Order: sequence, then C-alpha cells, then structure tokens
Amino acid sequence: MKRFFDTELETFRSHLVLMGETSIRQVRDAIKALVTADIALADRVIAADDEVDQLEISIDDEAIRYMNLRSPVATELRFVIVGMKASHDLERVGDEASNIAKRAVKLAAEPPLKPYVDIPRMAGIALEMLQDALDCFLHTDADKAIAVIRRDSEVDAINRQLYRELSSFMIEQPGTISRALELMFISKSLERIADHATNIAEEMVFLAQARDIRHTDELKKSPLDA
Amino acid sequence: MTSPTATHFAPRPGLGRTWERGALWLFRVATYFIVLCGAFVFGQIFWRGAPTVFTAHAPFVNVAFFTEAPESLHVFAYQGEKMELGDRAFNAFKAAHADAGAIKDDSYVYSAGGIFPCIVGTMLLVAGSMGIALFLGVSSAIYLNEYARDSAFVRFIRLAILNLAGVPSIVFGLFGFGMFVIFFGWNVSLLAGWFTLAFMVLPVVITASEESLKAVPKGFREGSLALGATKWQTIRKNVLPYALPGILTSSILGIARVAGETAPIMFTAAYVVRDKLPWEGLEKWTDFFFQGVMALPYHIYVVSSKIPQNEYTARVQYGTAFVFLLIVALIASTSIVLRSRLRNRYKW
Amino acid sequence: MSAATLSPMERLPAPPPSSPSLAVAPVAAMSAPAADLPPSRPIIDIDHVDFFYGQSQALHDVSLRLDEKKVTAFIGPSGCGKSTLLRCLNRMNDLIDGARVAKGSIRIRGIDIHAPAVDVIELRKRVGMVFQKSNPFPKSIYENITYGLRLQGVKDKGRLDAVVEKSLRGAALWDEVKDRLHASGLGLSGGQQQRLCIARAIAVEPDIILMDEPCSALDPISTSKVEELIHELKKEFTIVIVTHNMQQAARCSDQTAFFYLGRLIEFAATRTIFMNPSNPQTEAYVSGRFG
Repeated sequence: MKRFFDTELETFRSHLVLMGETSIRQVRDAIKALVTADIALADRVIAADDEVDQLEISIDDEAIRYMNLRSPVATELRFVIVGMKASHDLERVGDEASNIAKRAVKLAAEPPLKPYVDIPRMAGIALEMLQDALDCFLHTDADKAIAVIRRDSEVDAINRQLYRELSSFMIEQPGTISRALELMFISKSLERIADHATNIAEEMVFLAQARDIRHTDELKKSPLDA
Repeated sequence: MTSPTATHFAPRPGLGRTWERGALWLFRVATYFIVLCGAFVFGQIFWRGAPTVFTAHAPFVNVAFFTEAPESLHVFAYQGEKMELGDRAFNAFKAAHADAGAIKDDSYVYSAGGIFPCIVGTMLLVAGSMGIALFLGVSSAIYLNEYARDSAFVRFIRLAILNLAGVPSIVFGLFGFGMFVIFFGWNVSLLAGWFTLAFMVLPVVITASEESLKAVPKGFREGSLALGATKWQTIRKNVLPYALPGILTSSILGIARVAGETAPIMFTAAYVVRDKLPWEGLEKWTDFFFQGVMALPYHIYVVSSKIPQNEYTARVQYGTAFVFLLIVALIASTSIVLRSRLRNRYKW
Repeated sequence: MSAATLSPMERLPAPPPSSPSLAVAPVAAMSAPAADLPPSRPIIDIDHVDFFYGQSQALHDVSLRLDEKKVTAFIGPSGCGKSTLLRCLNRMNDLIDGARVAKGSIRIRGIDIHAPAVDVIELRKRVGMVFQKSNPFPKSIYENITYGLRLQGVKDKGRLDAVVEKSLRGAALWDEVKDRLHASGLGLSGGQQQRLCIARAIAVEPDIILMDEPCSALDPISTSKVEELIHELKKEFTIVIVTHNMQQAARCSDQTAFFYLGRLIEFAATRTIFMNPSNPQTEAYVSGRFG
C-alpha cells in the first residue's frame, strides 16, 4: 500500500544523494585544482560550499518534518535518523573540500614541493569510501559499509607516512616549511574526510541492522594494523 | 456552473410537489379519522355511563353501584307514584307496607344494585393471571435469551410463541375449558381462569421480556462474567433489574388488554351471578382457587345480550362499561408510572 | 544536477539479508519468551492453538509465552485474531456459540485452562478483563467496585471500604471520585468510566488483566491517563492489551505480538518490533503500509 507521503521520503533520499554527490565532486575538484594549480577551479570550489550547506539545512528540515508529522517507525525511522546524521558528516566533507581549495590557491603561487602522488591516491581512497558508504542509501548493504570502515586505516597510514615525509622536508629545507605545512593540512583534511565516510558507514550498519557499532573497535581492525 | 441568482432556490413546479401534498393529507386524514372513532366510542360510553356512575348530589359518585351486588329492579305504581326499587329495598318496602302484597310489579334482572362482585372478580383474575404469566413468561424469556443456544429447536419454540399470539380468544377459552375445567377437574374456577388468561397473555410477556433483555447492553453481562460471576448471578444482579421496567410495562399492558376478553373466561371462570363474594363462605382456604367469580366483561356481555333489553338494562350496561374502562386505564397508567419510576432508578 | 534528474530510485532499502524470511510465518518454534528481553517468569503459555468460530478458523497454530508483570501488546489489522486470542485467555469465547479451541493448549501458571478441573468462574477471578467500550454497571461507583467481591460473598463493610479505596487509588481515580462514591458510575466521563472499569477489575485482585482496546473510545487526555495507569499497574499485574493504536503499543508495552490473518507473525520486544522487525509484514504494518 502506497502512502500519500511516501514522496516526501523519496525527496529526502534524493536530497541526500545529491548532497553526497556534490560533496564528492567538491573534494575531487579541490584535489584537481591543487594538482593542476588551477586557481579558478579552486575559487569555484570555495564558492560552491554554500550549496552543500544549503542542502544540509533542507535535509534537516525535511527529516524533522517527517519525524514530527509522519511518525516513522522501523526502517523508515532509522533511515530518517541516519540521513540526518549523514548530512552533518557530508557538510563537514564539504568544509574540508573548501579548506583544501583555499590551500590549493596558496600553493599554486609556488612551485610544487614534489610531484603530487600520495595526496591524489589518498583522496581517491577517501572518495571511494564516501561513495560506497553513500551507496547504502540506495542499496542497503551492511557488508559494504563494514568494508568502508575497514579501509579507514589505509587512509590513516598514508596520512602518517605523508606526515613523516613532510616533517623531514621541513627539517632538511626550512624554505619548504610553509608549503609542507599546507600539504600536511591537506593530508589531514583528507584523513578527516575518510573519518566522515567511516561515520556514515557506521550509520549505514545501523540502518541495515539496527545495530550500533560505533566505538566498539571490533570492526576497525584491518589487515594493515596487524 | 452558473453563479447563484436570486431565483436559484425558488420553487419549481412539478408532479413531485403535488404528490407530496396529497400524501401528507392522506396520512393526516387517516390519523384524524382514527382519533375521531376513538373519541366517539369513549364519548358514547362516558356520556351514557356517567349518569349511572355519578350522582348530582354529594358524594357525587354512585357509591352503591361500586359496592353492591347486582339486584333485580322492581318497577311498580304505589298510591299513584312510580317506584323503582331493588330487591332488598322492595322486600323492605313490602314488609313496611301491609297493603304492598297486592302490588303488581315489573321486575328487570340486574338493573339495580351495583357491580362490586364483578369488579372484585376481574381484579382477582388480572392479579392471578399476571402473576402466573410473569413467572412463566419471564422464566422462558430468560431461558430463550440467556441460556438456550441458537438451534432449530429454539427457533421452532420462538415461532410457536409467535403463533400463539395469533390464536383467537375463543380458542383459548375452549382450550382452558378442556384442559383445566374438564381434564384437570378444576371446574369453572379462578384457577382455571388464571391459567387460561395467563396462557393467552404469555406470547406478549415472552416477547416483551425477550426484547427488554436484549435491550440490556451486552457489556453488562460480559463485565459481570469477567468478574467471575456465574450466569445466574449475572442475570439476577446485572440484567434482570434493568430489563424489569420494560418487562413490567409491556406485560401489564398485555394483561389489561386480556382482562377485557370475555371468551376465555366464559367457559373457565365466570359466573353469570354469584351471591357470595370470593372470600365468603370458604370451607377451607384452597376452596378460594376453585370457585367461579363474576367478571366485568362477562357481566357486560350478559347484561347486553342475555336478558331482555330495555331502558333499565342500558343504564347498567353503560355504567359497567364505563367502570371497566376506568379500571383498564388505571392498570395502564400504573404500568406507565411504574416504568418511569424504575427507569429513573436504573438508567444507563 | 538536481534531484529531478537522479536515476529512479528504489523504495526503502530491502530488509537486511540476515533476517530470516518469515512470509506467512508459521512461527511454530516460537514458544519462547520474546527475544531480547531480560528473563522473566512466563505466566501464560499459549501452545500451538487453533481456534474456530463454527467452521471458520480464527487462529492458526499460535504459540507464545507471556511474562509475568510485563505488558504485552497484541497488534494487527482488524480480524487478525488478536481479540479472539485475548478472549481465549479468560475463556470469554465460551459464551459464543460454536467457538472452540480445536487444538493446542493455553496454560496459566502451568495449568491448562481448558482442563475439566478448571472452573471458568475461578479462572475469570484470576484473569480480569477491561472492555473496549467502558461498561460501568448502572450502579454507584461503590457498588461497581465491590461487585466482584460481593459475588464472592464478602459482606464486611470495613473490608469493602478498604478495597474500594485501594482499587480506586490503584486506578488513579480516588481523588476524582472520593466525595461521590455513592453516585452512579454512569455520571463519570468516558475516561473516568474506563478507569472505573479498571478499578473494578483490580478489586478482585487478579493476576492478569486483559484489555481489549481500552482506549479506542477515549480522547487523548483520557488515553494518556489510562496509559499512565497501565505503566503503574504492571508493577503488580501481568497485562495483555489489544490495541489498534501502534503508538500506544509502542508507549505502553514491553513486548509486542503482531498477528495477521489469524497467525502470529512476529513476537518480540516492543523496541525490536518498532525499530527492527524481522518480518516484512510486521514492518509494513507498523509503518502503516497496510492494515
């Protein structure tokens, strides 16, 4: 039996997907602006952050309205709650994208410290994680979500490696300090994006199985930590 | 759609309106006709019975008519005066006047005295048959409505009861005569009359009782049973008290109706004349039940068709009918008062 | 890119693959306490019950165990058999022609309530009932409450007075009616009448109270009072409540049984039923997609 307010839920879901796709595109564009030293692209990313913020506001509004008036239970209730939480994570992802873009503008003025290899790789992993996590809004799949959580440590590892690398640059060549710091912050931003993807994936497990796996550590162990 | 104008709701000519008025008048006239007939009957009885029942001087009521037994009326001329005297007065007159022995009188039976034995007899018949009918009727209504499971047999019983209501009163009279008077050997007696009348009113009592029991909400029964009451406890404490107003009202009205029947009692309980009142001259107390009584409807019947008619008997006929109507009205209003008082006590 | 250009999307995510498919679930192996509840003593054990009204079967192989001093809600669309099962528990169905438990047994504290040695009168003293339509008797409040005890032959005025006060306090009605105990119970408002019926039921100190849609005729304030009361009563009584109001089941009950077409579809902690039901039919019903 279809209900007259089912469309509200569909609108909510499509806004979530749109927000996910927008923030992924923002991150991708920010990294592209960094690699290609494209200031115009970076400026567009910074300007577009507003779009993500607006989506968050409308998603929150829809979720509150739905909970208030439609009294969702079971899967629907979990969906609305998870959607609301995910929108906060996505908004943070958008902020990180804009941070990266701002740093890309600064770095574009100077020659690159070294060829950008690790950072695009890291971004690739983080965005894949994000994409996989968000896919669960369309096809609930706890296993896929758990796989996302497990990959978080890959990103952490690259972040630590970049940190060591950039530290040694700074020690050896003090003239690179400002550029190395910017890159460190960018790396940190990507690591945060992966964390947000992990958060969303954890919510997806809750959506699929009504099971709260946050702060349990059991799933965080990955082959890389062993 | 056009917007409403001033004539939007104006009447439109058509056959429908004509029929409407025609139907209204048909129903109205039919109703007034019934009222008219009723008024004519009551007016006739009142108009012609009142001179017998009431008097022009204090105490304005013809006490003798209510308290004395029927007597023959003796009409004669004495010393140029026309005299109308009842049996006892006539005998006293003859005793007082030595020359009265030669009087030639015309006597008219039942045309003097009163109808006290008839009133008493009717009251006794009503009370006794009501007791029997209520006991049997309510019992069987409780059985049918509360205990019996719906089955072909129970449906057959219900059908039989309904059919009983359509049986003519004379058949009840014959049944009572065959059953109680002859087969049980009760002779023409109060008891035979009671049972005959009770059987006649039973369909009314059972139907009314069933309806009244059905009108008691199911929740009263379920609530009581759910508290651990037995079925009988539930019926006694939580169903019957609320059904009683309805049962009594309908039953009493039914009895009042049956009390007017002549046919069922003329073979079973009524005497044309009986000089003793029911409580006089009993050898043992059980004799009370096995004596015949005079009764108002039978008296009317006898006075108006079994004796030569004349101006004197007409007086008695209308007087008796008037009293009879009064008594029936009294019973009916008792039931109405009873109902309203019980209803106030048990309202839901 | 806008929402409108998104690829057509599925409806809600399918139920988790880990949950067993129980479509028209023959929940046969479910004579177990509701899942994920702390252990408690079962008081009612319904074991593979088939129930018939004449020729038509109203319950199919229903098994469930209800715990002592817990509130169990029976939910399901009209005609799903939840009221029938409720009325089996104090054998109110005995009053209906042709109604019978054809198979299985119902045990209360281990005693089969259909055993010949069980007197239905005694059973109903232990298993009280509150009906959908509040049915105070057209007697005084005092007489309503003492009705059950008087049936049992209690005449001691002091004891009756004490029970009246205790029951009315228990039903959260004492303060409202203490000055008019001898006024008719029908003079009370709808919600008060229903609480009077609850007071009447607890006056005979049953173990179990069955409630058949007790709030369906009440306004929201009266409803919340009755729900409040249910929450209090479960300290002393085991309560089984049939309700059409899903929110009510969610608010009042500890465990919930969902019935559909005379079968028990799912029985679990209320939390589970409303957060993560394992059966798609349950989910569809609690989220208002059918029924």
